[in-house]
Amino acid sequence: MELIVGGAYQGKWRYAQERFPHIVWADGETCTLEGLLQAEGVYRFHIFLDRQMRQGEEVLDLPGLIMEQNPGLVIVSDEVGYGVVPVDAHERAFREAVGRVCCQLAQSADRVHRVVCGIGTVIRDA
Amino acid sequence: MLTVVTGGSGSGKSAYAEDLLLSYGPGERIYIATMFPFDEESHKRIARHRDMRRDKGFKTVECYTGLDKLDIPSDAHVLLECMSNLVANEMFQEGGAGGQVVGAVIDGIRALQRSVAQICVVTNEIFSGSQSYDGETRLYQENLGAINCRIVEMADVAVEVVYGIPLYIKGKGEKV
Repeated sequence: MELIVGGAYQGKWRYAQERFPHIVWADGETCTLEGLLQAEGVYRFHIFLDRQMRQGEEVLDLPGLIMEQNPGLVIVSDEVGYGVVPVDAHERAFREAVGRVCCQLAQSADRVHRVVCGIGTVIRDA
Repeated sequence: MLTVVTGGSGSGKSAYAEDLLLSYGPGERIYIATMFPFDEESHKRIARHRDMRRDKGFKTVECYTGLDKLDIPSDAHVLLECMSNLVANEMFQEGGAGGQVVGAVIDGIRALQRSVAQICVVTNEIFSGSQSYDGETRLYQENLGAINCRIVEMADVAVEVVYGIPLYIKGKGEKV
């Protein structure tokens, strides 16, 4: 598994496509859980988490499910925990969940990439 | 030695900091808890952190304001978590330092540095959100930002934790 993270608009998607040019991507904004578990890559992964949470799904189980059923997945996600703690309770729970899920994914990933200003750095290479 | 651990929300910085304290070996481990339990969510958050460090041999000392008044044994290893709550308490709680928050907190860290051998301070990155704030929130960001800069200046090691992965921004640090 490969995990690519970074703030919004940092060039993560472009970096991911350059690095993994020939894979089939799912879009986290529209894909189903089944679609995600069958794809080779998923972008806007944080939006997928938001959608799942709004449907009342438990997202903390997702890393285990991915490792079990789709361990080669390339995941592109925004880092969302770098602002002031939001007033809205769902927003607070969401950013916390993105953090917990990505911590678990990072631990199992073969590589973790962080993209800042279009430049990707491999911050973990297992 | 002073180590500053920073990171975003849910980045794994607490777990990293706790493991760092364990790596210092035997000695009294003191956890300075700064989160004031004002609602159910904060009670839950505190309970989660207590669970995380349950078997790690920490003695918890609550400190919501007035860090410089704490009496900590000199051979202790200290983990302060977290700076963002301490700063909010000092700014907004009755009896807090109010407008003098930056000086008060830095004095508190200095006092700790004088009295104990190992200190780790966990702080928080709250500076890259999408909203622009005004009034108190802006001032809170300004104060926490200033304190972060000052304590990293004073620190031997500063590390940003990204989803459990330590990125050293000052000093080499010990890999946990």
